[in-house]
Amino acid sequence: MDLFFELAELSISGALVGLMYTLIALGIVLVFKASGVANLAQGAMAMVGAYLTWACLTLAGAPLWVAIPLGVFAMFFVGRGIERVALRRMIGQPAIMVIMLTLGLEIMLRGLLPALFGPVKKRLDIGIDAAPIIIGPMLIDRAYLVSGAVALILIVLAVLYFNTRQGVMLRAVSDDQPASWSVGISVERAIGISWGLAGIAAAAGGVLWGSIQGVDWTLSLLLIKALAVAILGGLDSILGVLVAGLILGVLENVAPVYLERFGVSGTRDVVASLVILATVIFKPYGLFGREEIERV
Amino acid sequence: MLKLENIEVVYDHVFLAIKGISLEVAEGGAVALLGSNGAGKSTTLKAISGLLAPERGEVTRGEVLFKGRDFKRLSAPERVRLGIVHVLEGRHVFGHLTPLENLIAATSMHRSRAKIDGLVEKVLTYFPRLKQRINAKAGYLSGGEQQMLAIGRALMTEPKLLMLDEPSLGLAPLLVEEIFEIIARVNRETRMSVLLVEQNATAALSIVEHAYLIENGRIVMSGSADTMRSNPDVQEFYLGGAGRVDYRNVKHYRRRKRWLA
Ligand SMILES: Nc1ncnc2c1ncn2[C@@H]1O[C@H](COP(=O)(O)OP(=O)(O)O)[C@@H](O)[C@H]1O
Ligand SMILES: [Mg+2]
Repeated sequence: MDLFFELAELSISGALVGLMYTLIALGIVLVFKASGVANLAQGAMAMVGAYLTWACLTLAGAPLWVAIPLGVFAMFFVGRGIERVALRRMIGQPAIMVIMLTLGLEIMLRGLLPALFGPVKKRLDIGIDAAPIIIGPMLIDRAYLVSGAVALILIVLAVLYFNTRQGVMLRAVSDDQPASWSVGISVERAIGISWGLAGIAAAAGGVLWGSIQGVDWTLSLLLIKALAVAILGGLDSILGVLVAGLILGVLENVAPVYLERFGVSGTRDVVASLVILATVIFKPYGLFGREEIERV
Repeated sequence: MLKLENIEVVYDHVFLAIKGISLEVAEGGAVALLGSNGAGKSTTLKAISGLLAPERGEVTRGEVLFKGRDFKRLSAPERVRLGIVHVLEGRHVFGHLTPLENLIAATSMHRSRAKIDGLVEKVLTYFPRLKQRINAKAGYLSGGEQQMLAIGRALMTEPKLLMLDEPSLGLAPLLVEEIFEIIARVNRETRMSVLLVEQNATAALSIVEHAYLIENGRIVMSGSADTMRSNPDVQEFYLGGAGRVDYRNVKHYRRRKRWLA
């Protein structure tokens, strides 16, 4: 096949996966902005959301249009619950304790869910036709296309949400906590909501990716991808996370194919870690890190 | 309406910053709290607005009464719902939000869209300057505009008591006059009470009826604005203009007052 089309095909499916990464990474960025906490439980929340959806679908026999919203929105309450039960007690504790706590949650959930539902990989069929879409000489996987489109819609919804009154208050909290308190915003509640929304973003990403690769503990490895995207995007603007997601998605899909021709194999999973390392070393505030407004 | 009865404030469980302050603000009244740096003015306001908690401060003694009810246990947002709002020292606008969003952020207690629109409209008539910059990032506004925004944002909560912490800080005299005129106007027109903390005593005494002088965590003097203005000590140390303060005398004055207290 023509080299150009090969590259285009790889880039397009990479970009579609990248949108899903962006969606999950939004949850990390949101929690970080609201409370300054690194949410390292985001991968596990994606996995839990996928398991819940699978359970509604397969164990409870609910139809798709019930199971997916139920599984995803249940994660809103799981996210809020995690904040309420675990994180709120950590206020005033050193940052490292909070990091250990979210990481501990991640590891615990990774073990707990497969223990509950059995270790075998579950098939999560969300009714997407397996036949690829053919655009000229390129084949695009329909599941990727749907996943990318759904992720993009949710990202747009997030942008719209941030311009609602509640969204403005959430941004206010991320800007200045004492000032937020002083004008009547309940900072604790805002942080709780940010965790709830992180849960929704994670679950939606988990269901999308789970429908492609199946549901088991490996879904929680999405944490690494989301973390790479959040760090590369600069933990700040949605635009930054979007661009970073696309970059990681494309890079991950394109780089291994070409490297393999030079005899380097198995690089796919290394890309995200390399992105994290390179960003932290060379551009610690990411591509779109926040400009601090100095003027007083 | 607001009454502090002999309150003490402790930071970090050990540092006694306020050592028994009593003061009162009547409904519709305007009161100033004067004093030099570190006297405990901001701490007093935080004790009223509930913003001590995030700084590990605590009211350990005395009563904080609003309309006769002690509200020490309420959180800061709950106090805002009661009608007590605190404009923080150093303005603290939400720098990455636009002025309009800054105003919207202060409306968690209101339900109706129409009411919020009406309040925005009202605040912008008080501070027409904000209208021109309504979609800029608030962090890039000038100091005076940020102060106006901080006050306007507080007014969005429809306060019964507006507390201002050094609104004149770092502003040119003409701007100070403009801002103080607006505060006086809101106080007159809406019968909203004002508790004004200032180092700039001249400006403050021009718009209040009553003032307290605080030194070292204690009230050392109080009286009507006229009495305070004509008091020789106040004249010498607080109305003399920043350039003429003789610190040796200030120290002596403080020593004498503490000794008397
Ligand atoms: N967060 C804090 N922790 C410990 N001490 C504080 C804190 N804030 C203020 N203080 C101390 O309390 C005293 C009063 O401070 P403050 O109320 O800010 O004075 P003012 O506003 O009159 O300048 C000062 O000695 C100050 O150092
Ligand atoms: Mg102060």
